[in-house]
Amino acid sequence: MKLAIINGSPRRKKSNSSILTDHFLRGYYQACTDEVPVHYLASQKRKGEGMWLFEQAETVIIIFPLYTDSMPGMVKEFFEEISKPGVILPQRIGFIVQSGFPEAIHSVFVERYLAKLVKRLKREYLGTVIKGGVEGIQIMPPGMTRKLFSRFEELGRYFAEHGTYSPAVVQALRKPYTLSVTRRFLFNLFKLTGLTNFYWNTHLKKNGAWQHRFDRPLEMAIAESR
Amino acid sequence: MNITILNGDMSATESDFSAYIERLTGKLREKHQVKLFPLNQMNIQHCSGCWNCWWKTPGKCQTNDDAESVLRSVINADFVIFASPLMAGFISSRLKRMTDRFVALLHPYIEMRNGESHHIKRYPHYPDFGVILDKEADTDEEDLEIVRDIYDRFALNFHAEQKYFKCIDNSKVEEVVNETCHY
Repeated sequence: MKLAIINGSPRRKKSNSSILTDHFLRGYYQACTDEVPVHYLASQKRKGEGMWLFEQAETVIIIFPLYTDSMPGMVKEFFEEISKPGVILPQRIGFIVQSGFPEAIHSVFVERYLAKLVKRLKREYLGTVIKGGVEGIQIMPPGMTRKLFSRFEELGRYFAEHGTYSPAVVQALRKPYTLSVTRRFLFNLFKLTGLTNFYWNTHLKKNGAWQHRFDRPLEMAIAESR
Repeated sequence: MNITILNGDMSATESDFSAYIERLTGKLREKHQVKLFPLNQMNIQHCSGCWNCWWKTPGKCQTNDDAESVLRSVINADFVIFASPLMAGFISSRLKRMTDRFVALLHPYIEMRNGESHHIKRYPHYPDFGVILDKEADTDEEDLEIVRDIYDRFALNFHAEQKYFKCIDNSKVEEVVNETCHY
């Protein structure tokens, strides 16, 4: 097995990580016919499969959403498993980190950890693809996701041809690293209209929770907290 | 002062690290209200990423486990201590699993802060925190810097400050007590 992909999103097949993986593989299969198994760490039925794939594949890509500034707990569990003595490791390991925040800066800190993890495992580090602004892609009109998906296809195609991430695509996906002054100004302008909260408000209203959006259910009175 | 300690030690038997945290808890309890959560002995499920805590029951996670008691204690604390032995170069998966559930304490709306997008507050006050770790045999300065920097990012998103970052091999319990009480 040349390549295996491990999806560390708790949402499994309904995740944004899964959508990005699908587009990566669409591009990959344009250049390579080898089947690429995808394992979901959150899958309860196939718990051992992730480790099995990890031991069988020459190259493994681990994709996950940024959770509280690093990897989700279940991805960390997996990292602890593969760090145990005696585990057979793939030759090369790469990562894709996606987040809801639009800027890449949020994900570059965990990127340092991922690079160090692979160094610790004494394997070849393929790098980390960082993509922000991914939350909401499931409800965005096609015109808004076309460029993103075509870049992931390009990433997959290049990977099948060269065995590495395309530096140009990685660089393009990483933009913006931080938001420009203009974009921040526009954000603050749109904030006044409520447009910046459109995605959240749509769901809040659909669930009848709009009136409760600022609730603080865990707040305790001072005396109670003692 | 209300202090909440999250111990992410995953050792099967009583470890030096947990013994350290127990001693710290005892000392802090001489003058403060302290809640210690041994996460490995609790039923804490993974965040499922459903966002129900943001758009269905705002501020409340619908997973039925022990996480709510931890979240309640954290958000009502004056100071929080994140404690964990390093495992594979980072905090334990147990502590990370609990930290993932902190999303319920924030609001989904985004604001610009320090030139970056961050979630707005749900609660008026978020506790500052300290981090206490135990090194692995191969832990180096780079590992510690990575963890410290990630906690600094966490602080930024959590509307709080990381007040100290310590390893038990070179930080006496009394020193940690003094620093914790200082905040």
